[in-house]
Amino acid sequence: MASPIRILTAVPICDGHDSAINTINLEFIRHGIEVVYLGYHRSVGDIVRAAIQEDVRAIGISSYNGGHTEFFTGVVDLLRKKGAADIKVFGGGGGTITREDAAAMRRKGVDEIFFAGTSLDEMVKFVHQRYGKPRGKRARAKTSDIELAHTLTEIEKSRKQKKIQNPRSKIQNATVIGFTGPGGAGKTTLIDELVLRFLNKDRQTRVAILSHDPSVIGEGALLGDRATMINSQDDRVFMRSMATRGQAGGLSPATHDCLALLARSGFDYVIIETVGTGQEAMPFQKNGIVDQTVLVMNPDYGSRLQLQKIVMLDLADIVVVNKSDLQRARTAHTEIEQRLELNRRAQRLVDTVAKRHRDPGVDKLFGLISASDKSKRGKERKKS
Amino acid sequence: MSKLGQVVESVEKYNQFVLDQVKRARTDQKFGRDLLGRWNDIKAKIPTTRAPTGLPLPRLALPEIDEPGEIARFLFGEGLPGEFPFLNGAYREMYLEPVREVESFEKNGESKAKKIDKRVPQAEEPTRLFSGLMLAEDTNERFHYLTRHQRTHRLSTAFDGPTLYGIDSDADGVFGKIGEGGVAIDTVEDMVRLYDGFDLGSANFSASMTISGPAPIIMAMYIAAAKRRFGPNVIPKLRGTIQADIFKEVQAQNETIFPIEPSLRFLTDMVEFTTREMPRWYPISISGYHIGEAGSTPVQQAAYTLSNGFAYAEMFAARGIPVDQFGPRLSFFLDCGLDVEYIALARVSRRIWAIGMREVFGAGAKAQLYKLHTQTSGRSLIAAEFKNNLTRTAAELILAYMNATNSCHSNSADEPFTTPSEEWIRLAAHGQAILLEESGIFKHTMNMLSGSPGMKAVERAVEAAILDEFREIERLGGVLAAVEDRYQRSQIQNASHRYEQQINDGVRPIIGLNRYRDGSDDIPEVKLVRTPRKKQQLQVDRLAKFKKKNAEKSKRALDKLAAVVESGKNCFPELLEAVEVCSLGQITGRLQEVAGRFRPMV
Repeated sequence: MASPIRILTAVPICDGHDSAINTINLEFIRHGIEVVYLGYHRSVGDIVRAAIQEDVRAIGISSYNGGHTEFFTGVVDLLRKKGAADIKVFGGGGGTITREDAAAMRRKGVDEIFFAGTSLDEMVKFVHQRYGKPRGKRARAKTSDIELAHTLTEIEKSRKQKKIQNPRSKIQNATVIGFTGPGGAGKTTLIDELVLRFLNKDRQTRVAILSHDPSVIGEGALLGDRATMINSQDDRVFMRSMATRGQAGGLSPATHDCLALLARSGFDYVIIETVGTGQEAMPFQKNGIVDQTVLVMNPDYGSRLQLQKIVMLDLADIVVVNKSDLQRARTAHTEIEQRLELNRRAQRLVDTVAKRHRDPGVDKLFGLISASDKSKRGKERKKS
Repeated sequence: MSKLGQVVESVEKYNQFVLDQVKRARTDQKFGRDLLGRWNDIKAKIPTTRAPTGLPLPRLALPEIDEPGEIARFLFGEGLPGEFPFLNGAYREMYLEPVREVESFEKNGESKAKKIDKRVPQAEEPTRLFSGLMLAEDTNERFHYLTRHQRTHRLSTAFDGPTLYGIDSDADGVFGKIGEGGVAIDTVEDMVRLYDGFDLGSANFSASMTISGPAPIIMAMYIAAAKRRFGPNVIPKLRGTIQADIFKEVQAQNETIFPIEPSLRFLTDMVEFTTREMPRWYPISISGYHIGEAGSTPVQQAAYTLSNGFAYAEMFAARGIPVDQFGPRLSFFLDCGLDVEYIALARVSRRIWAIGMREVFGAGAKAQLYKLHTQTSGRSLIAAEFKNNLTRTAAELILAYMNATNSCHSNSADEPFTTPSEEWIRLAAHGQAILLEESGIFKHTMNMLSGSPGMKAVERAVEAAILDEFREIERLGGVLAAVEDRYQRSQIQNASHRYEQQINDGVRPIIGLNRYRDGSDDIPEVKLVRTPRKKQQLQVDRLAKFKKKNAEKSKRALDKLAAVVESGKNCFPELLEAVEVCSLGQITGRLQEVAGRFRPMV
């Protein structure tokens, strides 16, 4: 069976009208489409970078605040400039985009503009018909990001998990950190805050993120982590969102190979985030690539007995109690601390409030992760 | 218990107090007699007016009651217009024609009638139209056009997308949005151009600025621009409103640029400054409009607006600003649609606000007033058979004035298509004039439509539903906790979804769309107001010049600003300095470095 169609959706910069796109996203995923949702108030550069990294077939833009002709053509032009003209652009804006505007936008390379009154069915049909056919042979990638993105697509597409060698390096030189934990614990926010610290650490640091969201019935998926990330939209961050495509346990069938590739692609840090997991999950156990595992917990896990059932509490190197500003957090810290002591391993416990700017807990977590930095630059830093 | 929980209790207690007074008036003979005496005094003092037909009418209509219990129920439960608990109005006479001129008409007959025709409307016309387009000088021109026949100049300013998000016109990918949907403001120099030719210190001038995320920066630019033109002595004379409502942005409108807590801190810094230095300024407009437009129910709109208001009051009081200083400087902004709740939504809100402010915050009379600007519902207007929108807006206007709103904006019928064009703006403005000046509904008698059994039934139901919402927010730990928990946001989205579903299923009739549709969709001659590229380029060039000119100074100013923000001191005075040499985007960027950026809620 062919891989699901992947598209990216977004609302332009200076535009907070996200109600239409939210509805459309849900309709798309119900019809087997994987949607990488970038959220609202996003710049041309952010949208194009994300589309290239995610290697989507098309970008859908929902614009209600004017300036659409410039914005849509800005996206088309930048895609061309970056050598990613095979990523197509479509969108709509209710009554704000006139027929004349739409005609001008089509002339400039936009595939389609939907007007007010277009049914959701028509949009779904359009995406299937226009972007559903398999891609032809692809031109040689113009940049390393594009090449990486294409290879990841190949890995995800191939049914057999064949090892794909990275032409550039055979040595894993990145520190690979795995994040897991229940849904809603704040993994994405925490990662985004860590990325800010990695990027500020020195001007060369490059980070890759491999993020996972579950596929839903009908095989579509809403890959929404990017929508709440504010620091990870950066040229030094390569992020890829993957749907689990039917596999249980928090990762995708292609995760291992994708991760292996990223770990050898010249990044200093590679972060992998699982979907929200249950008690029995141990996503990184057999995976030799991950250097450090972080379990992110919500203070609200229920009774103390529940802690005994969480397998990752035995396996994680670092356990984070996020949202530690909540009343329940003190108790959570004490109970988890006791639970970890039974393991008699050097596991660390950190309290964070990831939503807070410059949170000292996140600083501490950043310090712990940096301490195990094994990247080339990290080693150099340690020497000096 | 948070302050909101106390508000719930205070309203319940007040309602019980009213019942007790009713009982007492019926059992305590002296109390009953006193009430009756007071009632007769009130009635005796009501002046009489005459309609143009000669019909005599009282300037204030009161219920026909002569039993002490019912008198107590009215006086304590509703109050006269301008009296606690203000159900019938924040002020005594609102839209009434001045009495003197009416008398002169009566006494002198035809000969003086001409003089009356020429008289200017009341000192404070409640009509206020929203405007903002292209560059500052273009909006300025529109302002002069709109106010050319008015004695009072009440300008309401809309900003373009980049300004609303606190970024500069030269930022990545915003070029096409410069001057779209509102005016482009990057620097204090733009602000000088925007209000050029208006006397900012005059008692007849007020400026309203609809902006929230970067409001403290824009406020500082306004003050700086006024200082440049009129000197520092103009500051205490400045009159106007800035929206600055962070809670509703997070709940409904998505135009937030800093995380919630620093956003609230910058807001409080500004409020502390303006309440002290600019006693005529309204530094926050607590807005339900955008909550309503995002699809909330009317009760949600009223409840979230009120609870946001109480949360702000709690914050300002915690900062040490006296309630009688900030209370009178708070104002409210509501949406008015066609649902039945709108018959009394603002009336009930006014009463809850007054009780809560008096009982929980210890506010004096002036700080108890729920001063309200209303706008008719944009969401209720549709593209199909769009001329029906005139009727929708007219009905909404009647509802808004039945609620004794202090000012009102009426939407243009062509709004579903475009930024309103002059033809339809004129019709919208004249709609208000027909209602207030031409028709006799509101100009002769206060309480003309108050107090019907239906209205009272709606009031009771709406009040109970609002208090239920308060209890839920209280249960979640108060307004801030509920906002961070996305409570209001989810409720609004859910209501919006249900509304669309109802239209789809035909449960909610929309004439011309799902009922009586004849398929002859006419589209207005839309003359699109788009900002020409040349103008957009001009804005970018001006900004570049400003930045170059101030390159050295801006760096120092930003460092100083950052240091004050870090120190936790009130940063507004420093903002006043910074806007002299820094652009909006430069300041936003620096503040985000120190305080963080808002993480979108999805």
